[in-house]
Amino acid sequence: MSEPRVRRRFAPGTTIEDLKEYMGPFVDRLGYKFNTESWFVDDVLTSELEILEQTGDVYCPCRVRTGDPKEDVKIICPCIPFHRDEFAAIKKCWCGLFVLKEVEDGSELFGVIEEPSGEVEVPVFRVEDLPPGQIRHVKVGKADIAVARVGDEFFALSNVCRHAFAPLADGFLDGYHVMCPWHGWRYDVRDGTTDHPDADVRTYPVTVREGHVFVTVRIRG
Amino acid sequence: MHKVFVYALSTCPYCRAARAYLDENGVEYDVVEVDKLEGEEYKAAVDEVRRISGGTAFPVIVIDDDSVIVGFNKKRIKEELGL
Repeated sequence: MSEPRVRRRFAPGTTIEDLKEYMGPFVDRLGYKFNTESWFVDDVLTSELEILEQTGDVYCPCRVRTGDPKEDVKIICPCIPFHRDEFAAIKKCWCGLFVLKEVEDGSELFGVIEEPSGEVEVPVFRVEDLPPGQIRHVKVGKADIAVARVGDEFFALSNVCRHAFAPLADGFLDGYHVMCPWHGWRYDVRDGTTDHPDADVRTYPVTVREGHVFVTVRIRG
Repeated sequence: MHKVFVYALSTCPYCRAARAYLDENGVEYDVVEVDKLEGEEYKAAVDEVRRISGGTAFPVIVIDDDSVIVGFNKKRIKEELGL
């Protein structure tokens, strides 16, 4: 018998509590928590269970499936990794099931949908998710970013080497320099400079608070 | 009187909130629950929502065939309808 094309994460009979237990630890790493309004959380998850029954997965109750699997994967709950910048700007995911950890009263965000623009601090992972001397890739909106940790300092730069477009986060950290995994080009993670002419990469401001690493990006208005 | 059209999903709490807000303010509107459509009708509605809103997020409220409001943005609905 051939493998089913779509693997179901949740079996029939899944409950709201099952979803909470499964999603909670994941969104915690992303810098989010369930909305503080528990009736609202139950409302959204009830809808997700209906959608799970109909479609086989927990698609966002506030977005529509297009039929294109590449597009639709971006709206399977929790969809935060695909919309990190816009959600950080509005302090919640589109439907409001999840809010940034700093949000004390999720009800204040109901119906508040400003067109996000300008600079926004985007939580990417927890401090302990990246040990010293390591570098990892995060996708923030359309940007591919490499976040490096040197001691207890964090730096963010473009993940794309200007030589042959290799992913820098697959490379090696040597002090404040990352060596590209393909040909060893070196970039200073502090300012994105390299010793090759006209090949510097852009950097992004990084802040650390409440145990989370935040990368500041600009959203087009 | 303004012509108001709402693209909604039956599963979306903000769609319910937006419709309730319009009802409370006595605004008449037409609505389609896109997830209740089937086949070609569904595809056509999804394409239309993507065309006018640039995305797949709901609700999408169209006022006078001209202004498009994505999400339950109470402030903008108020402004556009002069409530």
